[in-house]
This record gives sequence, structure tokens and C-alpha cells, in this order.
Amino acid sequence: MVTGFVRVEAYAEMLTNGAEVFGLEQVTVRRGGAVLLEAVTCQIPTGACTALVGRSGAGKSTLLRLLNRLEEPTAGTVRFHGQPLPEIDVLALRSRVGLVAQQPVLLTETVRADLQAGCPELDDDAAAGLLDRVGLPEAMLSRSTAGLSGGEAQRICLARALAVEPEVLLLDEPTSALDPHSAKAIETIISELSTAGLSVVVVSHDAAQARRIAAQVLVLHAGRLVAAGPADQIDYLNQIDSHRERT
Amino acid sequence: MSPSVPSWAGVAASLTLVAFAAMVAWRQRLRLTREITLAALRAGVQLAAVGAILLLVFTHTGLAGAAGWLAVMVLIAGQVAARRASGLRHALPIATTAIAAGTATTMGTLLALGVIATQGRVVIPVGGMVVAGAMQATALVLVRLREEARTGRPAIEARLCLGLSASAAFAPHLRTTLRTALIPAIDSTKTVGLISLPGAMTGLILAGVAPLTAIRYQIVVMYMLLAAAALAALTAARLTERALFDDAHRLHPPTAEIQHAHP
Repeated sequence: MVTGFVRVEAYAEMLTNGAEVFGLEQVTVRRGGAVLLEAVTCQIPTGACTALVGRSGAGKSTLLRLLNRLEEPTAGTVRFHGQPLPEIDVLALRSRVGLVAQQPVLLTETVRADLQAGCPELDDDAAAGLLDRVGLPEAMLSRSTAGLSGGEAQRICLARALAVEPEVLLLDEPTSALDPHSAKAIETIISELSTAGLSVVVVSHDAAQARRIAAQVLVLHAGRLVAAGPADQIDYLNQIDSHRERT
Repeated sequence: MSPSVPSWAGVAASLTLVAFAAMVAWRQRLRLTREITLAALRAGVQLAAVGAILLLVFTHTGLAGAAGWLAVMVLIAGQVAARRASGLRHALPIATTAIAAGTATTMGTLLALGVIATQGRVVIPVGGMVVAGAMQATALVLVRLREEARTGRPAIEARLCLGLSASAAFAPHLRTTLRTALIPAIDSTKTVGLISLPGAMTGLILAGVAPLTAIRYQIVVMYMLLAAAALAALTAARLTERALFDDAHRLHPPTAEIQHAHP
């Protein structure tokens, strides 16, 4: 991992092969005439939380979706444990790399059935354990998904992704649709998961949130990676912003 | 000729009904007089032309001509169904294949089992009903699946993200669509004879056939329409599913046409 917050040119020189779960090399994504990502080179470390930070349209979600092949790069290579993604069976990859979307989407009528969506053999004990991990009581198992609050629904989505026992969890702005109390609860869960050794990649437009939950921050601007470094030095972002505004 | 079939003089006399409709439109200032007149004339010319061609096919070309006629109907029906699903990838080949599959299987079964005669005058009208039923079900499937892929994208991607295959992720949407597409065929089968006297039976009764004989034909027609709709709908659904996803089990982004229709 990079030890100091640096501009992307310096960051690229510091990358080494080793403990990264994902490695991106000169990745570009174009759709129609638009360039969504351009020549992004970065690494996602294993067993830690990485935040992708940037404004709307910076390419954060596109980068996240590349990691479980919901998007395909137009050019460049994405590697998972050193292996290019197209060489890995895509369904096996998605079982190992879970993704939770910005808006919680519940797939079935009851919480129990929802948790079983990706893992039909999940029994009640295991399901209750998952609910506990996301701070919900076991009694919710038989609840209908129709009456859940936004925060509860997002936690169920997190638990559903964890049911498949992924080694990486991708989270696309998981708190943006939630009230401050629910958002804080989700942040706590993310911190606990990464402390427990899960590799987490979280998209956020909120630099303060990135500092609270992530170890590493990758800063995107207009499809380009512009800076990278430890989250506790994220104030450097302000310099990036003012630099962008001047130029 | 059966006395129940109108003579050409009778057909001409029925023009008074068109005149009556046109007069109502004129008196009420609906600005439809011209359109009503043209529609009536067009119907007459179209049917006269079809009648003349059918006469040629029945008397000179035999079963091969009937098969050719059916093939043309399938191609036209494919175009009509595909037009309903604009913006869906490969809509035309999917619709045409689905209607052809429903028609070929149903007609093939009826002919192979000897349920209907291998004569042009039988194969063409019966085939026409089969093609129409298959077309209706296919159009419903294409339109509905296009909408499901658009509105259900977050749920489909949520299932894909759990490691489910494209067909497993799309299965709930496919089931809902097939149920919807088959409702018209099932409902008309359930209510046949109660709400309306269906076309084939009406035609036979008008031509002087005894009602108990006419219903035998209608029963076969209802069963074959059910089969044609089910087969066409299933084929259309499977082919559409393949067109919606790529090899990496990813839902294709919506086409510009769909985005434009639903900004």
C-alpha cells in the first residue's frame, strides 16, 4: 500500500505486485462517445477498506463495476489476485466479489427468502448470524420485505451479499440514500467487516466518510485517477480540488 | 352456393351501411367521411385480391403453395410483432423465429395426426389463425421483456452480483412475462362460446354446417391456438433473454431508442 498521499504520477511508480486483491493497468472505458474512465492504473489492497472518491460523473461506479465484470474495459487489464478477469469464470468471480448497489433492491417477499437469493441452502441459524453481523435481530427473518425502512433494506442487501461468503465486498455509495443515523450504522458495519479481514471497496462522494471508514483512498476526477493515498491524509483532496478549479 | 352466403348484389347492397356510417360522420362533423369511405373501399379491394389469389393457390399450387402462403404470413407477422418492440436487439429475427416455431409445430402436429386435411383451402385459413395467435403472444412477450429489462435492471443486476447466471437472474421476469402473454389465449379458451361465438365456428354455421359439427372444428382451433401461443411465447422469451445478455452474464445497456422513449 502507498504510505503517503501522492499525485497519481508518483503513485504509479510506487505500485508493486504483492498483496493486492485487484490490479488495474491502463484501464479505459468508453461508452458511445463518452469516456467514463481513462488510463486508470491502481491497486486495491487485500483485507482493507479502499474508498473511491470523486464528484458525480468522475467514474467511481464504473470502476467499481469493472471489478465484478458488470462493466468491461475498452482497453487495459483488470486483474484479480494477479489473474486477468476474462480468464476467470465470471459466475465464480461474482461469488467471490459481492456488490451492493446504491439503492437497496429487495428481491423476494420475506427477509429469509431474500437472504437465500444467492445461497438457497442457507439455514435459519446462518441467516440469523448474518442479520447479527449487520445489526438486525433474528426476529426479522420472517418479516415481509415490503415494510422495511431504507436503512433496514440496505442492511438486508449487505447481509444477502455476505451470505455468499465473498472475499471482496464492493459497495456503491451505500449510505447516500439513507438518513444520518442509518448511514452511521452502515459505516460501522463496513469498518467491522474490513477490520475482520474482508477486502472492501466503497464508492463515496464524501471525503469525510472515506476518512472514517477507509484505509486507502483513490481519487477520481473526470474519469482519471488523480491522487491516491492513506485516508487519514485525505485533506490533500482539498488541494486537488483547488488545483482543478484553478486549471 | 349456400343461400346463406351473400351474392355480389348483396355485397353491393351492404354498401348502404357504409353510406349510413359516412352520413353519420358527415352530419356530426367528425371529419371521418373520407376515411370511412376509403377504408370500406380498401377492405373490398384487399379481400377481392386475397380471394382471387387464394382461388389460384387452391386450384393450382396444392400444399406447397399453401406452405408458401403461410411462410409469407409468418414473415409479415414477424415484422408486425417486432415493430411493437422497437429498441430491442434482434427483435425482427426473434419475432419471426418465434412465430415460425409456434406455427410450424402446431400445424405440423395437426397435419401429422390427420386432424386437418392436407389441402390448401384448409391449411391456409387454419394456418392464418395459428400465425395470428402466435403473433399476438410474441408481441406481448417482446414488449413486456423489453420493459422488464429496463425497469427490472437493478433487481437483475443484484441477482447477477450474487453469482447467479443470466437465466437464473432473469427467471422471475421471464415467468411473469410468459404468464401475462398467455392470459389472452387462456381466457379466450376458457370463455369460448359463452362470451362470443368464435370465428371458425361462426363461419361454418353461416356456411350451413350443423352446430355440433362446427364445434368440433372450433375445439381443435382453440387447442391449436393455445399451443401456438405457448410455443411462440416460450421461443420468443428464450431468444429475447439471449439477446438481452452477453457472454459474461451482463445485461446489455439499454439502446438509445429505449432511453429516448423513457428518458
